[in-house]
Amino acid sequence: MNVFITGAAGGLGRALANECGSRGYNMFLTDINEAGLFRIKQGLERQFNVTVTTKACDLTNPHSVDKMLAVLDTHGIRFDMVLNVAGCDFEGGFLERDREKLVKIVLLNNAATLRITHALLKRRRQGRPFSIVFVSSLASMFPMPLKATYAASKRFLLEFATALRQELRKDDVNVLTLCPAGMVTTEETLCGIKAQGFWGNVTTAPLEDVARRTIDCALAGKGVYTPGLMSRLLSFLGKFVPRSFVAAVVYRRWHHAQRKWMRADIIRS
Amino acid sequence: MKTVVITGATSGIGLETVRLLTEEGFHVLGIGRSAMNCKRAKEHISSHNPNARIVFFQADLMQQRDVLRVAEDIMAYLDEKSGGQLHALINNAGCVRSWYMTTEEGYEQQFALNHLAGFLLTHKLLPALQKARGRVIMTGSASHKGIKIRWDDVMLRRRYNPLTAYKQSKLCNILFAKGLNDRFAHSGIRAYVVDPGLVKTDIGNKETGSLVNLIWSLRKRAGVPPEIPAKTYAFLCRQEPAPEGLYYRHCKEKKYSGQVTRENADRLFALSERLCGLCDDTARQERTKAV
Repeated sequence: MNVFITGAAGGLGRALANECGSRGYNMFLTDINEAGLFRIKQGLERQFNVTVTTKACDLTNPHSVDKMLAVLDTHGIRFDMVLNVAGCDFEGGFLERDREKLVKIVLLNNAATLRITHALLKRRRQGRPFSIVFVSSLASMFPMPLKATYAASKRFLLEFATALRQELRKDDVNVLTLCPAGMVTTEETLCGIKAQGFWGNVTTAPLEDVARRTIDCALAGKGVYTPGLMSRLLSFLGKFVPRSFVAAVVYRRWHHAQRKWMRADIIRS
Repeated sequence: MKTVVITGATSGIGLETVRLLTEEGFHVLGIGRSAMNCKRAKEHISSHNPNARIVFFQADLMQQRDVLRVAEDIMAYLDEKSGGQLHALINNAGCVRSWYMTTEEGYEQQFALNHLAGFLLTHKLLPALQKARGRVIMTGSASHKGIKIRWDDVMLRRRYNPLTAYKQSKLCNILFAKGLNDRFAHSGIRAYVVDPGLVKTDIGNKETGSLVNLIWSLRKRAGVPPEIPAKTYAFLCRQEPAPEGLYYRHCKEKKYSGQVTRENADRLFALSERLCGLCDDTARQERTKAV
């Protein structure tokens, strides 16, 4: 099995790469962080008997993506699975954020993901099933004031993946959307989850479980995977509550959590 | 003046051991995770003992690139200041993680810091330790008893549990010490594990989730102050000739787990060498020799 992973030097990307390594899959990893890519490649090769190839790439830059694709074509590397992990968010309300950073959320989470998915579908291994995984978020299920751009970008992925899944079914392609709530990937995310209090704790899913089940779900042909019972319950209930009411509740929760988080950030720094 | 390197030197057991060792006249090189903590610790030690010979190095030992960098800096320092000799290395830095989190290499963080960091640092400082017929001391725990190494999933990727990960990392410490003795006792190096007992430190309050934080806050109330275990580290650094035991508590040799066998120690040694890239180094050196 040959797997292509974007955002492979970050927390979820690394966990998915570890999971693929433990299953003996060969991997092509990309991330904007070249040093991080080198280290995860080292770690994977030392742990598992797998072939890992890396190429640093800014997925929001078409030239950078073309260069990376040229590497794949030069070596004739073809794939059975693509894990679209690369994504970003920046804390703070819409008007408090830098304009270019807001645009970057859409450029990376959406435009770059489409670019990679399209390119990799053209580079699938012939005669074998192909899996695409999009990393969306529980945030895609609700309107999310104070995380409006991020949540909308994740909603885009969910809608797009659902439609693409139907479109590509005849070509033996499975499309899975992962919709996790919080996951502890870094010390910063741990602080963020703590700042959310009870709801942060009950919706947080173990990273290693999410990684394992994501690959299981992709191989089993599932369409959407929302980790955690509480997250599944929230996404189910969300369908019956007026969206304007959800927005008001979410605003109160995030307003409080972000202030607490930023305060903790100031104390830490 | 004998030189001692100690990791996790800016708080808890490490800081108290630094204070005691400097009072006993050792030249101490402390390693701390943040520059600010190193500065604070140095001020703390100097306020107790203005003549203390103490130098701090900043490194995040969870990341192997930082272990390699600080090892190089320390070797250069030792060459310049102490004739390239290191009397003792105390691998004390440790952590508890409520959640499965990984380092840049994708290694589980408790395993990476509590075991691999000490393993790699010891190997990089080995020439200086051999020169001084030095000692390597690990901070262990009685919790290493009653657990086995999960060889098929050593980083607990399939069923992570913070306590299991901690206990296993402490068993790794004692297996590493045994492995060192088996390999290097003939060249004068001795390795030990100190069981500090239950100590009032913040190990379970740093970057942990609410539950672990709460449990540790309650549990540590029954602990002893760090001055108590610090005496055992000082004892093992000071004693001549070097004591021959492996596992110490309150300056006395104690019994350890039946899992501490030569077979397990060798297996862990081989695994750790691979995870730290020391096999790559050996292969590279052999290739260079062949050329």
